[in-house]
Amino acid sequence: MTSAQPPAPGRELSNPPTDGISNLRFSNHSDHLLVSSWDKTVRLYDASADSLRGEFMHGGPVLDCCFHDDSSGFSASADNTVRRIVFSHGKEDILGRHDAPVRCIEYSYAAGQVITGSWDKTLKCWDPRGASGQERTLVGTYPQPERVYSLSLVGNRLVVATAGRQVNVYDLRNMSQPEQRRESSLKYQTRCVRCYPNGTGYALSSVEGRVAMEFFDLSEASQAKKYAFKCHRKSEAGRDIVYPVNAIAFHPVYGTFATGGCDGFVNVWDGNNKKRLYQYSKYPTSIAALSFSRDGRLLAVASSYTFEEGEKP
Amino acid sequence: MSTQRIDPLVQVETTCRALLNELQIIWEEVGETDADRDEMLLELERECVEVYRRKVDQANHSKAHIRQTIADSEAELAAICSAMGERPVHIRQSDQNIGSLKEELRKMLSQVEEMKKRKEERRNHFIDVLDQIEMIINEINGSTESVSSETVVDETDLSLMRLEELHRQLHELLKEKSNRLKQVQDHLNTLNSLCSVMGMDFKLTATEVHPSLGDSEGSRSISNNTLEQLGTEINKLREVKIQRMERLQDLATTMLELWNLMDTPIEEQQKFQNVTCNVAASEHEITEPNTLSDDFINYVEEEVSRLEDLKSSKMKEIILKKRAELKEISTKTHLIPDTQLEDAIEAIDSGVIDAATILEQIELQIAKVKEEAFSRKEILEKVEKWLAACEEESWLEEYNRDENRYNAGRGTHLTLKRAEKARSLVNKLPGRVEALTSKIMAWEEERGTEFLYDGTPVLSMLEDYANLREEKEQERRRLRDQKRLQGQLIAEQEVLYGAKQSPPKPQSAKKGSKQCTGVPSTKKVALGGPMLQAHKLDSVNSPRISQTRSNKKTEFMLQNDAIPASPAFKRGQDIADAPFRKHPSNGINTNEIESPLKTIPTNDPSNNTMTPLKTISSVDEENRKPKAMHSTASVQMQTDITPPPTLQTSLVEETHEEMEQSFEEKRLALMHSDKQIPSMIQV
Repeated sequence: MTSAQPPAPGRELSNPPTDGISNLRFSNHSDHLLVSSWDKTVRLYDASADSLRGEFMHGGPVLDCCFHDDSSGFSASADNTVRRIVFSHGKEDILGRHDAPVRCIEYSYAAGQVITGSWDKTLKCWDPRGASGQERTLVGTYPQPERVYSLSLVGNRLVVATAGRQVNVYDLRNMSQPEQRRESSLKYQTRCVRCYPNGTGYALSSVEGRVAMEFFDLSEASQAKKYAFKCHRKSEAGRDIVYPVNAIAFHPVYGTFATGGCDGFVNVWDGNNKKRLYQYSKYPTSIAALSFSRDGRLLAVASSYTFEEGEKP
Repeated sequence: MSTQRIDPLVQVETTCRALLNELQIIWEEVGETDADRDEMLLELERECVEVYRRKVDQANHSKAHIRQTIADSEAELAAICSAMGERPVHIRQSDQNIGSLKEELRKMLSQVEEMKKRKEERRNHFIDVLDQIEMIINEINGSTESVSSETVVDETDLSLMRLEELHRQLHELLKEKSNRLKQVQDHLNTLNSLCSVMGMDFKLTATEVHPSLGDSEGSRSISNNTLEQLGTEINKLREVKIQRMERLQDLATTMLELWNLMDTPIEEQQKFQNVTCNVAASEHEITEPNTLSDDFINYVEEEVSRLEDLKSSKMKEIILKKRAELKEISTKTHLIPDTQLEDAIEAIDSGVIDAATILEQIELQIAKVKEEAFSRKEILEKVEKWLAACEEESWLEEYNRDENRYNAGRGTHLTLKRAEKARSLVNKLPGRVEALTSKIMAWEEERGTEFLYDGTPVLSMLEDYANLREEKEQERRRLRDQKRLQGQLIAEQEVLYGAKQSPPKPQSAKKGSKQCTGVPSTKKVALGGPMLQAHKLDSVNSPRISQTRSNKKTEFMLQNDAIPASPAFKRGQDIADAPFRKHPSNGINTNEIESPLKTIPTNDPSNNTMTPLKTISSVDEENRKPKAMHSTASVQMQTDITPPPTLQTSLVEETHEEMEQSFEEKRLALMHSDKQIPSMIQV
């Protein structure tokens, strides 16, 4: 993992996880970094100080994690559990369960709820303030057309990307049915979805080296603005080799965004001017996750093999 | 002496006696009386005495004369001596005078002679000196009278002192003369150098001042006048020299400037090295012959004027170049060039307007136009894009009217591709037009002028276009409504009378093309999701997005030249392994499918949202011959309520060819299979 300040090279954090990284997040309150990994741990780092502040074991590979505040966070695990982790006490307890591995987890400050998406084709909302135990904490279950692959929140909007290239846009205040049901503009499997910090739309990446920029507003004017672009591709002998774009992260201040692909590159883009601003030097392997710190000063890059080509030594 | 005297005397006496004797004889003969004899003898005696007396008087006279002469001579001598300022050498030495008067006289005379000679000499000297003096004075005074032949000498003063004095005077005069001569020579030298520097004839000039000056050999006038004139002439020439020098220096500076301006090569500059090296010299530093001659100055002047001509012609060139530049920039940004400047440029030749000011003006104009061009750039690009899109739109309309467009033939696939692109362009057009309009308005507000494209305001062009479109839209809507009504009628009829064949669709020529989807709104229902996306993403319209459900089994079609990096692509597609160049057949396929999608108006949200069920049913009815995959697709359509299958089943189905899996799912599956069954149950 490295934090990056362009154009200075990044700084690799010490004590990385021992297996692939599934996701990493910066806290909204400090430069703490929460990292979930296939080695069944969730680790808490202080990115600026480069120190490991906590390590929490799970029952299975942890597929996602997020902060609640600087003292606690949540994790989504392949053992179907949703856990809350209290960093200071080094404790974690199970908030609830799905019927299949929990793929994504987000905490909504607006709604005060934890939202999880799972391969059991449901979206569940949890209230973390209640006592643990599914009966108390589960707020609602919302079926999805397919297995949930990615989630993103902005304000009161929730964007859910599932298998089969479906996309559901929810208003958190009314989860009974999606505000919009869409299909991904890209022709290939959705890999990641992220909402713009200004809440006007979302970016959606696929396994075919493409990113689509979409807008919530369904008017002609807004829809005319949407576009898609190719990225994370390599040109060889007249053909393009395309790589899945695994991660997207938006800069909280500038609105520019970074994408990370299986080609091992991180590109930073200006969506309004449709230009690539720069590209960091190649990482040793695929980019698994990206996250900007709350002031946008730091960019955390997780590089670990994401199994795009199956089993590999 | 006496002896000598005696002799003659004795002789005489004897003679007398003889005579007397004779006389006596005679008398005797004659017989003269004694009285007579005595008388005669007395007479004789008396006569003799007379004679003696006379002789004695004579002798006295002569003696007195001699004495007188001596005295005179003395006096003369004294006078001479006094005139000559010398003491007489010979004072009267009467006491020493033993000798006779005649001796004395002789002496005296000789002395006088001597003195006279000396006086004469002295006098000559004086004359000489005086002559010389006079000559010199004459020379100095510039009088042309020759030395008078009679120099007046003051006879009274012929002393040596005076001679000395005169000699001194002469000496001084000689000095003066030599001074003047030197002066004259100096002046002449100066004159000579001035003349040589200025290429004037020295002899001529010198003789102009005074004829004698031109002659290098003869004596030269040294008169005051001459000197004065020489002085003035020199001053005059010097002034002329200064004038010329200044002129030359001006020319030299001008030349230097021009060289600088025009980057004259060194060889050319060398020719005038001698001029430019003197550009800052002062008057007396310029001494080379002919450097200030008229000819030379003219020569330099000619060169300068040649250079100036060159400069103005170059300037003209530059102006013309700039004018061309200005035109180019103007035409590039579709601005109309300023005619005022054009006229000014034409006027250069007539000399009315100065080239330099025109150059300035042009530069200003260029800067202005550049600035304007820059500010217009963005909008201009958009305008051009819009114009291109309009062209494509009209081409597309043409194309759509063409009945034979699906005939396979040379280049058909290219036109199909072009139609694809054109459609997407056309769909983006309204948004673009709006964006462009708002941009132009902002620009116009900012600049305070209209945005002109080759003279016409773009906003009005856009307006016209928008109106045109609006009309076309309305036309299309009308047609669509008509069709819908027709369709409804038919549906009702079908309900009454049983299934009927699908009504002919006026717009799509081929029935086959309707196989897969047909209906505008729910195209996605029948097709696998990606099939709809066969065209480029950019043209996606909101109404289509608003309600679609894709099936689980998704088909991926390679629409572009991309080769997937990961095996994920290999699953779930039949065409994956097809080399991308097989595009045309696929393309045609997709495009065939596509065209009804596109040709049927897509901008009709009303159709989509209002009657979804109805359209679905018409889809089913219309699509009598769905492809196999699509029949399954329609079955798989989901509603909100059906609970989804569990993950277990999906994991088990992993070997199913058409099962989509994310990398994480795959990895987890691998992990679990490695760990054997218990791990699955674990979940």
